[in-house]
Amino acid sequence: MLDLITQQAQKKLWEKFNNSLTSEVAEEFLQTLLTLMQIVFVVNHDYRKNLKNFQGKYQFCSQDGEVTIAAVFHNNRMDVMEKKIDNPNITITFRDGKTLLNFIIAPRQDILGSMLRHDVVTEGNLNYLYKFGFMAKQLQLMMPQLPR
Amino acid sequence: MITLDDIRLKNFKLENLPRLKELRSLSFARKPEICIERARYITRYLRDKDDTNDSPEVRQARKVNYFLEHKRPVFHDRNLLAGTTTSKALGAPLFPEFFALTLWPELDTVSTRAKNPQKLTADEAKELNLEIFPYWMDNNVLELTRKRINDEKNPKAAESLRLFESLVFFIAAKAGCISHAVPTYAPMLEHGLTGLISMAAEREAAALAHASDDGNRHADFYRAVQISLEGIIKYAEHLAEEAAMMASVADDPQVKQEFLDMAKVCRRVPAGPATTFREAVNAIWICQVGIHAENINMAMSPGRLDQLLYPYYKRDVEEGRLDIGQAIELIGCLWLKIADNVTMVPEASEEMFGGAGTVPAITLGGVDADGEDAVNDLTYIMLRVTELLCIRDPNVNARYDYEKNSKEYCRRVSEVILNTKAVPAFFNDRANITALKGQGESLEHARDYAVIGCVELASSGRDYPASSSIMLNLAAPLEMALFQGKRPITGEEQIGPKTPDPATLKSFEEFWEVFKTQLDWLLEKAIALNEEMGRVHQHMMPSPLLSAFFEGPMDKGRDLIQGGSLYNSSGATHIAFADVVDSLNAIEQTVFVDKKYSFSKLLQMVKNDFAGAEGEKIRLYLKNRTPKYGTENPIARKNACNVVGHLFELYQAHTNYRGGRYRPAYWTMTNHAGLGGITGALPHGRKSGELFASGITPVSGAAPELSACLNAVAELGGECVPGCWALNIKYSPEGDVGQMSERFAQTIEAYFRAGGQQVQFNIMTYQMLQDAKKHPEKYPELMVRVSGYSAYFKDLNELMKDELITRTMYDLTNGQAVPYPGDKGGE
Repeated sequence: MLDLITQQAQKKLWEKFNNSLTSEVAEEFLQTLLTLMQIVFVVNHDYRKNLKNFQGKYQFCSQDGEVTIAAVFHNNRMDVMEKKIDNPNITITFRDGKTLLNFIIAPRQDILGSMLRHDVVTEGNLNYLYKFGFMAKQLQLMMPQLPR
Repeated sequence: MITLDDIRLKNFKLENLPRLKELRSLSFARKPEICIERARYITRYLRDKDDTNDSPEVRQARKVNYFLEHKRPVFHDRNLLAGTTTSKALGAPLFPEFFALTLWPELDTVSTRAKNPQKLTADEAKELNLEIFPYWMDNNVLELTRKRINDEKNPKAAESLRLFESLVFFIAAKAGCISHAVPTYAPMLEHGLTGLISMAAEREAAALAHASDDGNRHADFYRAVQISLEGIIKYAEHLAEEAAMMASVADDPQVKQEFLDMAKVCRRVPAGPATTFREAVNAIWICQVGIHAENINMAMSPGRLDQLLYPYYKRDVEEGRLDIGQAIELIGCLWLKIADNVTMVPEASEEMFGGAGTVPAITLGGVDADGEDAVNDLTYIMLRVTELLCIRDPNVNARYDYEKNSKEYCRRVSEVILNTKAVPAFFNDRANITALKGQGESLEHARDYAVIGCVELASSGRDYPASSSIMLNLAAPLEMALFQGKRPITGEEQIGPKTPDPATLKSFEEFWEVFKTQLDWLLEKAIALNEEMGRVHQHMMPSPLLSAFFEGPMDKGRDLIQGGSLYNSSGATHIAFADVVDSLNAIEQTVFVDKKYSFSKLLQMVKNDFAGAEGEKIRLYLKNRTPKYGTENPIARKNACNVVGHLFELYQAHTNYRGGRYRPAYWTMTNHAGLGGITGALPHGRKSGELFASGITPVSGAAPELSACLNAVAELGGECVPGCWALNIKYSPEGDVGQMSERFAQTIEAYFRAGGQQVQFNIMTYQMLQDAKKHPEKYPELMVRVSGYSAYFKDLNELMKDELITRTMYDLTNGQAVPYPGDKGGE
């Protein structure tokens, strides 16, 4: 029964993630991505290897100030919080959800274009963003075929 | 002296050179694969074996030695030379010290991406993700620079870093590499690596005899040289063992013999002195592979191979060991080996760098140390190989001294350009030797210059020029001058100093001062960051192996990165030169001379991207009625000279961390397309997003007469452009190559006599390129000159393809530009 509930919850989350890929709302895409990441870290052994010994602090902010989310990787786990954190390894400030999506996870990513157009502004160590981008892409590749 | 009966060597064709024909076909059929071998071994070494108490030079040497010891000896085909840059047939090696981690987001998709995929196996991707990349997250050049700046609490350098990371002001290229060098292999060929190791050992002992800090540092350097060169010898031994093993299992007697021959060569060289042409060629190649174990594969240029190899060629021919066909085959094998690697380009960078090779430059012809004609039989053999193979790398360049080299040589080079449609590029000995002498190089050394990468100049094996240190976007200070220190792309942020509103200025001279204020400010930022990164390189990435192939380090006991070379310059190149000059011209003529439009009106139009009917009317006026660089207009000539002169003075006033001067240059790779694509409208009638002109080339369509265009560029040459330039000229092909090469050669000579330093060509029409864009399958091997280097047209990004299509095309029969037919031309 518990398995069934977990499966249902995951299915909902994948659907939400799939929907958010076409959404304009930054918070929805980012929150869904981070929540899904947290869950898949728990349920997927291979994916969990990405956490091993990884220390990283990410700060995501929207340019309009509406979204302030931090993701902190430490002690082989991932925490997500809606606040400003001290000394992030990288801060990613994005114009809107679409630009963030394009930056991190779009099938044809446009990282350089996003930065050149200043749709996304980063401050800090981009290597952390590259790792995050990989983990996000892995999720995208894992996404089950969902009914339309 | 030329002994060839036919300098064209037209009896030697791919049809009767089956090995080269097969290898060439293979080189086009191969798909690039990412090679993680170097990243794997240097990471393992640093993680498990590195002793941080060692000097930076010794740590680097041990790291490189460890990799070379473990590097797999492989033979992918029937090339006669042993050694490969990577473990793959066409490999993109990863250098995690620089930007390899940009590959991280696409580890699972790089093999299948739409544009220029690079194959990576699932196991390799896993190893990179879990084992290799995590080690480097905080340890590459860029992050160590950031840490250094933060630790020093250096706000000025922090501002420079921020500007660099915004990508739209300048590129601090040391984050990606220094490389860009021309070593000298003559001592290696004469003494063998064991000879060089013995010399280093003697000097180490002598340095240790002086018990001082300096003595110890020098001894450390000499020890590092020995350790790194021993790595190359180990690799050559492994090649010999593998070749012998391959011979033992080969059924075909010819193949068996070829492997036995390679095993024999690798047992002799590069450890011992080269005794034959073949040994010399293979020794050079194995040392090139060794250099790439230490330094990233970007513009590591073998240099004047026709001069270096000629004594070995001559002796073998005279003694009956070698004929011309065999020499062509060996040189062809070398060209194809040099092309065995590409750079790893993440999808995110395709827009800027897509299609670029690794640009190892070969330099042919010119004069010798005494100023006499240096063209020899091998020069013509190498030209013939270049003509037959017609491949992207190596980047072949022909030096020409119009007083000393023969007209036949000039015509032959012209003919090769016409037949390949793109290579080699032409370099003017008179102007370039003057430029290098202006940098304090002795006449003898300046005469021995070779081309690095795209177009940069260096005395062979004497000048460590870091020639790609800074790439400055000149449109940035122009926009900052127009908008009081702000740029449209960065919004309301005050970037540069707040200079006066241009609408309040009374003369063009006042605006010129404002422009210089912004330019000087930005240039200082770029230099400050280059200095910081240079110091990080000194600790993290010294080059004891490369130092062994330079004059200077062995005498000074100092690595190249510590100023060990005889000459120690840093290079800075500039993007949007022609567009900025034309904008200055438009402002001067329209606002201050003719008073046709006020500055505030002009600014309003630029801000609005010339929107609306009025905007379009003004734009067309600015585009068609204002002075253009590339013509004889005196305002245009004055402004071009002033920009070049001012940049020269600015850079020369700075001394770099190695004690050398900064040298300005004008080549753009593909950055003129990428940066043009994101820059707003400019005062010369350029709309937002239109591409910048390449290198030092006038804006497309702006220079209708060929001779005026060449003269306008040529008068900028000489002392003020010591880093050289890339001038791109497109000619419409003619039916009779013989007649065209005559006119072609005459035009070159006139341009060089006027002072032009360099020129490169595309011999193709607007329509042909439009067709190639539309039907890439019809042009799988079409090679084009971009801005200093060659590329396959099909591999370029869309912006670059458009830039090449719209470049002004001249008809050499009448010297006039052929009007661009518009986008419908290819239909």
